[in-house]
Amino acid sequence: MQSYWFGDYDDDSCRCLFGRDDFDPEAISGRLLSLDNDMAEFSPLKRHIIENCGCFSSRRDYLKKLREVSVYMAVQKITEYFSRGDTVLLRMVRMLDEIDTVINMLSGRALEWYLAEHPDQASRSRVLAGRKGLQKMARGSSGSLGRLCHEIQKLADERNLLMKEINRRADEVMPNCSALVGGLVAARLLSRAGSLEAISRMSAGTIQVLGAGNALFSHLRSGTPSPKHGIIFQHRRVHNAPREVRGRVARVLATKLAIASRIDFYRGEVDEAFLASAQEKIDRAGVSG
Amino acid sequence: MIEIDGVLVSKGKAGVYGERVLKGHRVWDPFRSKYAAMHAKGQVVELSSGMVVLYLGAANGTTVSHFADYVEYVYAVEFAPLPMQDLLMVSDIRKNIVPIMADASRPGFYAPMVEEVDLIYQDVAQHDQAGIFIKNMVFLKPGGTGILMLKTRSVDVTKTPDDVLVDVVEKISPHVDICSHCWLDPYHRDHAAIICRKSQD
Repeated sequence: MQSYWFGDYDDDSCRCLFGRDDFDPEAISGRLLSLDNDMAEFSPLKRHIIENCGCFSSRRDYLKKLREVSVYMAVQKITEYFSRGDTVLLRMVRMLDEIDTVINMLSGRALEWYLAEHPDQASRSRVLAGRKGLQKMARGSSGSLGRLCHEIQKLADERNLLMKEINRRADEVMPNCSALVGGLVAARLLSRAGSLEAISRMSAGTIQVLGAGNALFSHLRSGTPSPKHGIIFQHRRVHNAPREVRGRVARVLATKLAIASRIDFYRGEVDEAFLASAQEKIDRAGVSG
Repeated sequence: MIEIDGVLVSKGKAGVYGERVLKGHRVWDPFRSKYAAMHAKGQVVELSSGMVVLYLGAANGTTVSHFADYVEYVYAVEFAPLPMQDLLMVSDIRKNIVPIMADASRPGFYAPMVEEVDLIYQDVAQHDQAGIFIKNMVFLKPGGTGILMLKTRSVDVTKTPDDVLVDVVEKISPHVDICSHCWLDPYHRDHAAIICRKSQD
């Protein structure tokens, strides 16, 4: 017997799932999702099978109904994709990183412009770096430059609000990973991996060097030293660790993240016992000697 | 195939992806579409109005829309949600496209919806492109044509494109009769088109 989207077919007998009037894409897609045909036994639909079955008044009718089902299923799957918490979180992190790039670029340009108008301050340009510098430039200049500096400051404020939102959402979507490395770093790992499912299938070694792609490929290609850490370097326990144990901390942290992401994906709730033992192991890795 | 002053075109409602229009026909740009590139390189596979096509890796539906202008029906398989949104929009205007959201490497899931086809066209950025092509051969009519647009860079970046092509041809040749193959440069770098036929028995 062969199962097709509209019914089952066996040599000459055909069982149709619907009559001429009770066609329901939802019911048909439900059945289709439960089918996984063994391709060794499968024989594809042929035109004479469709015609002999008598489920459809014409070829046009057949294709119209088939399209209704396939479009219905595609829309369902897309909706499901966008309703997952990690999809939205991913977009938010990518936006945040883009805003950071833009703020850096704009404030760099603003600084160049400011220095051209205030040649005496060139030597003290460190005073003009960062948020404080932006404030100073906004106060110290008039016209377009002053207004632009204000706008950049506003963008920076918005960026901080977005970061809080990301932290909050990461606590919901990936509670265990967030507990280990903080919401922002967890979300950045997610953004690099593509989805929570993808990260939950990664090995610890992959998670450890996620975001260190260039260093990794130059290592694989020409034998330069392998990267110790990628995005997880941004976590304080890695970048604050003494140089000689930093690799070990990164490694232990990555193994715990691999487990945490699996708990996040398959269970979706905080596991206190796991977190306590993981935190302890990571802290112990950071003790030198 | 319809050509105007040596430019490949198709008949249909314009405005799918900002394509140029030439004397009321949609220009099929070899730099955008690998099928048009293959045509420009002199490998002609005729599309006719009675044909049914299975298109694997439909992406945003640019090439699919041109196919739909020529043939009776296109079954367009695409896995990623974002391109699928575009494809749904394209198929909303061209009613002879059946958009199927599925993984081309797992035909078991969409097999019940696809009928036997005259042409299989595969353009997927996957590692195992030869394996996917072989798996989907079951849908091809005896005597039907298969076109494999090989992205050599997706198969193995450490091998040269020529080696990858030789490997893939060797892999698929027990399952189909290879008619010809060609490189698609200068239109698409490191891409090859392999044209083959399923034997009659």
